[in-house]
Amino acid sequence: MNCFEARQEFPALWRKTLTAARRDDLLAHLKGCEKCDHAFRVFALTAPVLYGEMEQPALRASRPVRREFSLADRPSRFVSPSREVSRLNQWLPMAAAAAIFVFATSAAYLSVRTPNDSIGEALSVPESSMTSDTTGDPLAPEMPLTESDLAS
Amino acid sequence: MSDKPDEELITEVLGGQTDAFTELAARHRPRVERLCRRFFSDEEMARDIAQESFIRAYTALATYRAEMPFGGWLRAIVVNLCYDELRRRRRRPEELVGDFSAPEVQWMQTAHVASPEDLVGEAEERREAYDLAHRLLDTLKPEDRMVMVLKESEDLSVSEIAETLGWSEAKVKIRAFRARQALRKQAERMLAMGRSR
Repeated sequence: MNCFEARQEFPALWRKTLTAARRDDLLAHLKGCEKCDHAFRVFALTAPVLYGEMEQPALRASRPVRREFSLADRPSRFVSPSREVSRLNQWLPMAAAAAIFVFATSAAYLSVRTPNDSIGEALSVPESSMTSDTTGDPLAPEMPLTESDLAS
Repeated sequence: MSDKPDEELITEVLGGQTDAFTELAARHRPRVERLCRRFFSDEEMARDIAQESFIRAYTALATYRAEMPFGGWLRAIVVNLCYDELRRRRRRPEELVGDFSAPEVQWMQTAHVASPEDLVGEAEERREAYDLAHRLLDTLKPEDRMVMVLKESEDLSVSEIAETLGWSEAKVKIRAFRARQALRKQAERMLAMGRSR
């Protein structure tokens, strides 16, 4: 047995599925090969979980009796209120940000679009005051000349 | 327990005989719980995830297609639940924490000096061997751990793992390589501790 073959057999040795002859070959190889012996010790540290049958007496003793399947028997960790709260906590900042955005957008839009005066007040403004407002405005459209303007 | 095939029990459940699922669950529970215990040392957690897996399988049973064995379909549910839980914990120490209990230290020393045969025999009887193995596996990233357990414990091929997790085969191979490297590194450190104490 060479080193490659020996290492391939580690899981089978742990699971006790090797034939007696193969097992003796492997153990003989481990005795004579320092590197493979070390590799087996490294392997043995995780083997109880990765390759074990998980039915060790030490585990069995602490294990409660198996239950029958029942839909009502849902584990609390999957329906716990704390999880619901934490899920809610994740959404709250996002909802608040969305609300602020909507409010700010609406405020900006209304400040631009809504007239300061009511329609009644706008109509009651005297014509003279309207013209005086526009005369100072360099961007206001030029009024067409009338006959009286030409006469003066 | 009857010797009806899984598919027949599933047909019964879908036909309204919900008791048939109890039998289906009892049939698969040992394997499901064993798989969960490979991810979680906490027995209660492993049992809860197994139970939740059966509840999800029951509620999604109408989506099951008989082209694949029920066991494989159920395993995909279990594995994804375990993966979610590992990620949810977000506890990835990456490095081993050094506060080992006295029995754990003793096991490290045993792993350093005992004969290979004795190691196999003793590991079966010692809870600390199991706990220490979990501590080592806890140092892996959830993705790496998934691949490690499915490949080594469940003997799944790269393509089967990729299908179960919805990953590419390249990703599975990379994860498997990294997981082995990381695990070896940590186990070497642990053996060195056993030697020095």
